[in-house]
Amino acid sequence: MNNGQMHILLADDDEDDRLFFREAFDEIKINTKVETVNDGVELMDYLTRPDITLPHILFLDLNMPRKNGMDCLRELKRIDYLKDIAVVIYSTSASDVDIEETFVQGANVYLKKPNDFNTLRKTLEAVITTNWQYQTSGLNRDNFILSL
Amino acid sequence: MKGKAIFTTNFLLNGIFVIALFILVFTSSVTYKHTVVINESTELLVHSYQIQIQLERLESFVKEAETGQRGYIITKDPSFLQPYNSAREEIKNPVFTLKYLTSQNPQQQQNLDSLLRLVNLRFALLAASLDIISEENSNKKMLDENMAKGKNVMDYMRIQINMMVDLEVANFNKHQKKYNREISITPVFTLILFIFTMIFLIISYLKIQKDLIIQRKTNEKLLISIESIKHAEIIGEFGISQWDMKTGEVSFSDNLYALLGCEPQSFEPTVANYLKFVHPDDRHIVSDGRKKTLENNANPLEYRIIRKDGELRHFKSMGKIITDTERSKLHVGIDRDITQQHLSELALVERNRELENIVNELDSFNRVASHDLQEPLRKIQTFISRLSDNELAKISDTSREYIAKIKTSANTMRMLIDDLLLFSRANKIEKVFEQTDFNILIENVRQELSQTIEEKNAVLTVGHLPNLNVIAFQIQQLFVNLIGNSLKYCKPDIYPEINIDCELIQSNDYPILNTDAQKRYYKISVTDNGLGFEQKYAETIFTLFQRLHNKSEYPGTGIGLSICKKIVENHNGFIIAEGKPGMGSTFTVFLPE
Repeated sequence: MNNGQMHILLADDDEDDRLFFREAFDEIKINTKVETVNDGVELMDYLTRPDITLPHILFLDLNMPRKNGMDCLRELKRIDYLKDIAVVIYSTSASDVDIEETFVQGANVYLKKPNDFNTLRKTLEAVITTNWQYQTSGLNRDNFILSL
Repeated sequence: MKGKAIFTTNFLLNGIFVIALFILVFTSSVTYKHTVVINESTELLVHSYQIQIQLERLESFVKEAETGQRGYIITKDPSFLQPYNSAREEIKNPVFTLKYLTSQNPQQQQNLDSLLRLVNLRFALLAASLDIISEENSNKKMLDENMAKGKNVMDYMRIQINMMVDLEVANFNKHQKKYNREISITPVFTLILFIFTMIFLIISYLKIQKDLIIQRKTNEKLLISIESIKHAEIIGEFGISQWDMKTGEVSFSDNLYALLGCEPQSFEPTVANYLKFVHPDDRHIVSDGRKKTLENNANPLEYRIIRKDGELRHFKSMGKIITDTERSKLHVGIDRDITQQHLSELALVERNRELENIVNELDSFNRVASHDLQEPLRKIQTFISRLSDNELAKISDTSREYIAKIKTSANTMRMLIDDLLLFSRANKIEKVFEQTDFNILIENVRQELSQTIEEKNAVLTVGHLPNLNVIAFQIQQLFVNLIGNSLKYCKPDIYPEINIDCELIQSNDYPILNTDAQKRYYKISVTDNGLGFEQKYAETIFTLFQRLHNKSEYPGTGIGLSICKKIVENHNGFIIAEGKPGMGSTFTVFLPE
């Protein structure tokens, strides 16, 4: 964590959602640097660029054009230097199949996009203040879905 | 049972035949023996008679000689000597015959010897008398003496002859006595045998008569069976083929010909001829089937037939090997025309495919509802939430009111989507049944609804509930909806009281459980003291989107009770509602034991 700054990356094809995400972090009083990419292909290109600093937490939308979130998750869990990034699934839907599959593929948290801006802000704050090293070791299906 | 009757018949008739044969042999041998005995008697009689005749002849020859000699002595006429001389010669005949006749009897031989000695003596005396006469000075005294001696010898001879005759008679009598003794038993025997034969004859007659009746009845039954099978074949659209696996002989029933579109028995029933009707692409199925039948692992065959008139039909053949003691193996085959069934199956498959398409469409609708509809809605809600209080204060009251209405509508829409998703999930067939304690389920429900229960000061009373094999999360949803309903439609002036009770009941006590078999159900009722409803709405409230109250008074989507009904149906149960306006309502769930 350079300079105590937390690097956060969001992959989401929806412009409005990217806006809400940035605005929420603007209101959170934590030193963060937020980057966004527009889809799965862009995400994988970004992560494999040599000149970037790897994010601490990746927020991953599932339903994206070109390459969806599930494929991205599988791919980056196979790449050694990417597989330790904490992955938060950030999706509109919360179908049982998606939850099950992303958990099996090694995502850390499943976050359903809230309907309310204040809730969004509080939830994101909770996610980034979690001690991921500790959280990962005790991960189970019950605390996988984040509900506030 | 029939087989046993026929077996005893055979046994009985065989027995009677053996006994009859025995009686015949016995009677024949007895008759033969009798004939032999009678022959013996006759021979013996003739024998005695002959002996008597010969003895008489012998005596008469002696007398003849004596008479001749006497005439000569008186008359001195030599012509009287002629019978005397001839008698001397001719006497040799009876002597010879007698010797022959008595050769088997030593006693008679002895007697005969004595007799012949007397005869010789008599002739010697006759000769001596003639000698005396021929002398010149015939001694009258010597002649008298001689004559007297001769008379004595003659007397002895007669005695001897009588003795011999008596002996013959005695012999004959002895034989006759023995014969009588033997013959006297025979009539009794014959009578007994006759009676026995009669009895056996009658038994055989009755038995055969009875068997004939049974056979006639069996024949009638057989005829009826044959007729029934013929009709059954026509009704059931099947034909019967018989195949003697030992001789290779094959026979087809009339209806099998009819199914092939031919006149009965219009061609020779052979496998090759049958194969001509089988669709060329399916002939291997029938040929392989026959091979498998020979190896004793035959399966039903399905193949196509081209009838004589060219029509394509679908056939199904199955068979069974009947093993008989006499005819080692008979294969009986049923060949069914399943064209109709086949077409229905095809239609069913087509219908299934359509249904699958519909289900898939529903699935994609679900995806649309769960994701694509939610996304814009979520954004509307989020954007509204971005309008801070400061900003709201700057706009007009009317605009603020509009924004509030947008917010309410968006919330209603969210609720609708969520409920619809719940309803469609209740439809989905991921039925994982597990043994579940309903008491724990109700506790979970109480937890879930705890906030509302506290707010309304509601009292939830729960009786003892059973353990049942159910889809746990669905049953929990059921009680959330039912209890939630009671909490929602409560009367404002009194605290809600909700009672949950359970009892085990018999299905035939409740007409609503229209099941044929008698089954046991758990009847679980949720009763409240809330607003209630008019009984005429008891059924419509379970219909999707049906509401009894104004939205502004009681917000809701009209989906909750539909979900309840769906869940209960998933468990093969029933749900009914009873209500009285202002008095409360009771929802009763019946779940099979």
